Amino acid sequence: MPEQDRPGRLSRRAFIQAGLLGAGATALLPISVPVAKPRDIPRNRTLTLVWTGREGRWVDHELWNPYAIGANHQSGPGMFYEPLAYYSAFADKEYLWLAESYAYSPDFKELTIKTRSGITWSDGVPFSAEDVAYTLNSLRDLGPKVRWGVDVQQFMQEARVADPNTVVITFKVPAPRFFYFMTYKYDIGVYIVPKHIFQDQDWTTFKHFDVDKDWPVTTSPWQVVFASPEQKIIDRRDEWWAARAGLAPMPRVERNIWLPSAGEQQLAQALITNQVDYSTSLLPTTLPTVFRQNPKIITHSGQKLPYGYMDWWPSSLYVNNEQPPFNDKDIRWALSAFIDRQQIIDVGWAGAAEPSPLPIPAYPALRPYIDSVKDLLAQYNTLEFNPKKGEEILSKKGWKKDRSGFWADTQGSRLTLEIICTGGLGSAVGPVISEQLKRQGVDASFSLPPDFNVRFQQGQYIGALYGHGGSVTDPYHTLRLYQSASLAVPGAHLVNFTKWKNEAYDKIVDEVFVTDMKDTAKLMALFRQAMEIWIPELPDIPLTHFYHRIPMNTTYWKNWPTAENPYVNGAFWHLTYAMVLWNLQATQ
Amino acid sequence: MQLAYVAKRCGVFLLIVWLAATLNFFLPRLSGQDPVREKLLQQAQLGGYVQAGIEAMTREYEQRFGLNQPLWSQYLAYLYDMSRLRFNYSISHYPRTVNEIMAEAIPWTVGLLGTTTVLSFTIGTLLGAFLAWPGAPRSLRLLMPPLWALHAIPFFLCGLILMYLLAFQLQWLPMFGGYTAGAFPALTLAFVGDVLQHAVLPALSIILVATGGWALTMRGMMVTTQGEDYVTFAEAKGLKSRTVFLRYCVRNAILPQTTALALALGQILSGAVLVEVIFAYPGIGTVLFHAIRENDHFLIQGIVFSVIVALGVATLLLDVLYPWLDPRITYRRA
Repeated sequence: MPEQDRPGRLSRRAFIQAGLLGAGATALLPISVPVAKPRDIPRNRTLTLVWTGREGRWVDHELWNPYAIGANHQSGPGMFYEPLAYYSAFADKEYLWLAESYAYSPDFKELTIKTRSGITWSDGVPFSAEDVAYTLNSLRDLGPKVRWGVDVQQFMQEARVADPNTVVITFKVPAPRFFYFMTYKYDIGVYIVPKHIFQDQDWTTFKHFDVDKDWPVTTSPWQVVFASPEQKIIDRRDEWWAARAGLAPMPRVERNIWLPSAGEQQLAQALITNQVDYSTSLLPTTLPTVFRQNPKIITHSGQKLPYGYMDWWPSSLYVNNEQPPFNDKDIRWALSAFIDRQQIIDVGWAGAAEPSPLPIPAYPALRPYIDSVKDLLAQYNTLEFNPKKGEEILSKKGWKKDRSGFWADTQGSRLTLEIICTGGLGSAVGPVISEQLKRQGVDASFSLPPDFNVRFQQGQYIGALYGHGGSVTDPYHTLRLYQSASLAVPGAHLVNFTKWKNEAYDKIVDEVFVTDMKDTAKLMALFRQAMEIWIPELPDIPLTHFYHRIPMNTTYWKNWPTAENPYVNGAFWHLTYAMVLWNLQATQ
Repeated sequence: MQLAYVAKRCGVFLLIVWLAATLNFFLPRLSGQDPVREKLLQQAQLGGYVQAGIEAMTREYEQRFGLNQPLWSQYLAYLYDMSRLRFNYSISHYPRTVNEIMAEAIPWTVGLLGTTTVLSFTIGTLLGAFLAWPGAPRSLRLLMPPLWALHAIPFFLCGLILMYLLAFQLQWLPMFGGYTAGAFPALTLAFVGDVLQHAVLPALSIILVATGGWALTMRGMMVTTQGEDYVTFAEAKGLKSRTVFLRYCVRNAILPQTTALALALGQILSGAVLVEVIFAYPGIGTVLFHAIRENDHFLIQGIVFSVIVALGVATLLLDVLYPWLDPRITYRRA
């Protein structure tokens, strides 16, 4: 008897049939895990937004502890950890939140924070000063293991609970900006966590997510009801302490769906068909098409240029100040004179941008500082496009053009500038600026290397395009970006991407650091002193302001943050998204 | 079947897996990039701000991932982890583990690629058989040029064309995603329909391209088989044309196709990476694409190792199961 036909053996036909059946059944694999269905909420009470994700999927949908290193407050967790205070740079206004008041000692070595009473976490446990002290002391102890750990560690001695609503923080050095550091604005602020949940956990691996347990535990009016690689669904709770206290109205949004972006084209289509209400920035070339096909879509500037608002990240052409010939300020000025900012705006940004004379955004609180150095900017015009002036500078230094029209020094070495860039800034500006410099005789090139961040941070670059995550209210945070050493902050971790060094400048910035944020007269004087050094030295070459071109759909929601109603910047990925949610009104 | 033969095949399987796994360990490290630092700086850059202590954080996490160890020590730890199918934490999604991430994505890819591979195999094989059969309708031959043309197009390009036509212009099908935003996964007809509807475009872009390949190879095999003596003998006996076609030609011509099918099924995990990426399909292809971009050594290692094992297992199974498919093959000693 043939082997395959023996009784009890699988026949060939049965084997093939079983194989085909098995393969067919795989089509249903993705839907093999049912979950409990949350309540139905109509579309006109749902706010659907699209944020970056990764190639159209969330990779962090289980991470609701923003201190886990793979987590990011930008993709949802920021909604759940209410701050001691919010700050809107557009309104130049501080909103005390979990904190009721705060006061520094005269030497700024002690900070007393009074927290509000009557706040409870979503599991019913009262919020108290214990939570604030626990958060800060844990950050100090964890140090480099978690975000903000080092920032707290380098300043804070101890946070101690004086009574259930009072925290007293002592510092190693005067720290007049510590409360501001903890305040939510843009991407900076300390997330206050529930002590009773976090105290038994390893902060670096704790996910703080379990729908069945109603985690993440929060003081906010939000609850995660579903999270998967495809979407994060966040529903409004029925009760919120801040609404009860009259601090903010209960949000009208009842459901907030966070979708990962699948790309610009797909996103534009979803906005046109009203599937999406709010999204990550679109390119200035895409927005007019979206406006034409869906007139209900607006941006911060309506449907007019620049299709958005000025971000806190003015961009510059960085040159490595440790690398000759760019260690010579005259060479930096020559490069600046060769750059036509208006052409960068017209070609790179489709007309939707403005030049930036300094690495500081022109926000309400910062405008007086910028105005105070107008005379310096008139004397040293950081935006001037004047190729002849650039040529004169180089000629005086002994540079000559070679046969190919490139500048070369006395040894015959060309003026070569390899520019590295990343992201949207690199794609938009990189080709334009490298071509401009080539036409002026600089042997410039640009690339978008995958290890840009490492090379840039470690100074392994000659030229780079990048922004400035610095000041939004007083000039300290931008000034410190150029500090090469600090005595005021022992063990300070310095940024100094340009590798520029100036002792006098460092001392001024240290002086700014210990100055009260409210002492604007003194800050103004110190800022001027710093700029008297910075502007003539030109450590990096200012280009343009950076813009968030965020589409906002008025089909279902109105009262978006706009130029006419600038209660806050409109980036929902920033820590001030809660303020947008207080303000949105349903149209239907 | 001899036990010795199976043991030998298993030994070869293990050797291949070890060699491939070793390459898998060293290749991502050749780039010389520092994935931990890159990840931390990328996080910082997302916020437009560089928080203090990136250096200290980098050291801390390199230690945690074992990346501060000598390469040989990392390699031994890697082999130990692979032997237990535990792929460590993902660098870019820490503290999520590679196993967790893969477990989420694999059902989508296996669902999509498993179905499309079997469908394209079935359609392509039948088409190829008919294209070579003299008794088939002549109109069928008109399919040859488009099949050749489609076979030459990459999956993702076909996907982009279909997306433009069927999703953007005609709006018949959803453009991207695994299911509609706001829908909750459940074993309901509505949700099953939604998932299938979202799978149509990526599936179609694979089937259209892959079918051509299957059809062309089957046609070639059929032409060879039709010249065999046993086919001439069957025709001379006066057997029905249908019988000669199915029992004598197709049955014999399909064997090499089956081998290719087994290998194609083994490759399912590597996925149609770019198809998944352009349709934002939540499968393993998008995860792999992301892992490569982020230089996430552990995630790349986990996915590639799984592909290696899947291919090895498919080949091993094929060898072991071939006697069931082709009675002429036996591993018994004469």
